[in-house]
Amino acid sequence: MILLQSPSRFLLQILHDRLLSQDKGVDIDCQTVEFDDVRYHIQVSMRNPKVLVLSVALPLPPEEAASFDGLPFGAIEAIKAAYGPVVQILDPPKDGFDLTLKINLAKLPSDEEQKNAILLQIASIREVVLGAPLKILLKNLSMKTVGPEAGQPVALVHRPNESFFVVPQADKATVVYPMRFLDSIDIVLATSFLQEFVEARRTAALNNAPACMWSQSPPPELKGAPESALTANAGFVTFVVNPRHVEGKKLDRTVWNLLTFHAYVSYHVKCSEGFMHTRMRRRVDTLIQALDRAKSDAEKLKKMVTGPSFKK
Amino acid sequence: MLTGTWQPVRINSLLPDSHFASSVYLRPSLFQIASPLHSTSVPPSSRSPRLNWSEQIDTGSSVVNLLSISKDSTMANTIRLYLTCIRNTLEAAMCLQNFPCQEVERHNKPEVELNTSPELIMNPDLICRNEAEKCLIETPINSIRISMKVKQADELENILAKKFLRFLSMRAEAFQVLRRKPVQGYDISFLITNYHCEEMHKHKLIDFIVQFMEDIDKEISELKLSVNTRGRLVATEFLKQFI
Repeated sequence: MILLQSPSRFLLQILHDRLLSQDKGVDIDCQTVEFDDVRYHIQVSMRNPKVLVLSVALPLPPEEAASFDGLPFGAIEAIKAAYGPVVQILDPPKDGFDLTLKINLAKLPSDEEQKNAILLQIASIREVVLGAPLKILLKNLSMKTVGPEAGQPVALVHRPNESFFVVPQADKATVVYPMRFLDSIDIVLATSFLQEFVEARRTAALNNAPACMWSQSPPPELKGAPESALTANAGFVTFVVNPRHVEGKKLDRTVWNLLTFHAYVSYHVKCSEGFMHTRMRRRVDTLIQALDRAKSDAEKLKKMVTGPSFKK
Repeated sequence: MLTGTWQPVRINSLLPDSHFASSVYLRPSLFQIASPLHSTSVPPSSRSPRLNWSEQIDTGSSVVNLLSISKDSTMANTIRLYLTCIRNTLEAAMCLQNFPCQEVERHNKPEVELNTSPELIMNPDLICRNEAEKCLIETPINSIRISMKVKQADELENILAKKFLRFLSMRAEAFQVLRRKPVQGYDISFLITNYHCEEMHKHKLIDFIVQFMEDIDKEISELKLSVNTRGRLVATEFLKQFI
């Protein structure tokens, strides 16, 4: 699995199981944590077997990314548009969470395909809620209109206490990520990965992909941004998104990919480190075998004879 | 050729492909002359002007062997030469015998770690491939300490080498001849005592050390390659999503 998937497998599993076992009397109360501090809490009680209560907690936004009642800009409208009558927002949300939804399984469409599509959409709640402001900006781009913030960097949350910036303009949107990592090895590996992004974009096959740049210092697009957002130990990545990338069906995928870019790079850096450890262990085994060959046979025999001790 | 004193001996020779030459300085008190090259002496006038010459640099008590290679030769040649030189030096130097400690009664310690009596510790030998890679061989009477500095071209190779060598050093117990901490200024160190020589065949031990050095180089370049390949793949997959 190279790419991060939009629907959460945890939610999808629970929703499917719930549908299959609608008449059996089982209470569900599960919590889980996903990458970048997103928590889910799903509850079903047998008093209302057709109703699921889903609570979502979002990463803490930094000061520059404004939030309206704890939710990103445009989240509520996005939820209503995506789910229709199946989902109802409960206000106030449960303790410790930012959003609580009541999902009515009775209102699901009876057509199998449409039902699965809605369940998939419910499992992608993260993309709908967190990606709402980005989706609005990119939709403006696809319709070639500009909102009130044209030319100014808009801060959006993607990680706890960190944000990335989008500079919307009439014909393109520039997305800038300050990349920060905690571990020094992560920083070096991530820097080499990010430089590969720039290299890969240059190959002919990817001419239609967004233009990609990496720089150690903050790029000029971030001139209006606050100081605290301008320190990044693995450099700044800039993508230039054209209307071509956000037309029609591509909008959702683009939103998800841009939203989880940092998580994607971080995931692959960790995979890389794990792979290196496996290789090093294998190499150590080979070397120890080579050393064993150096031992004389008499020694080996002695070791075998006086090997494991035995108890009487 | 063999004298009883500690005079440095100079052996000039040319490799068959005559791309480069090197001078190897050795102490004749070692009973085997370790020469990686055919010893055909060549008059100075026929030397190619492109080549750099190694010079005897007396850095205190150590004699430095410098193998400076001209730009035309390939990297593969230099590593062969470097490893062969190390192998031959080790073959000459690995004549260890048991030697009870002079300071403390009934103790038997590797003299290289103690560093107390100068008469027991012979001149250390430094073999340099270039400024970044070198190998120090110290040979007192009952032990050998071999310290290596590994080539680290850029930041990524730097952390990969550090990570890998720390990984190995932590498993020094399993390797027996590895030292847990490298000597100051080097990346990894071996400590071979006379007991190891008694247990293991000498030539196989030297084989192991040379293979170890080769493996480290290979492993670091393979790790770097895997990181770059993975980076390329990750980037391509991500950017393909937008098309």
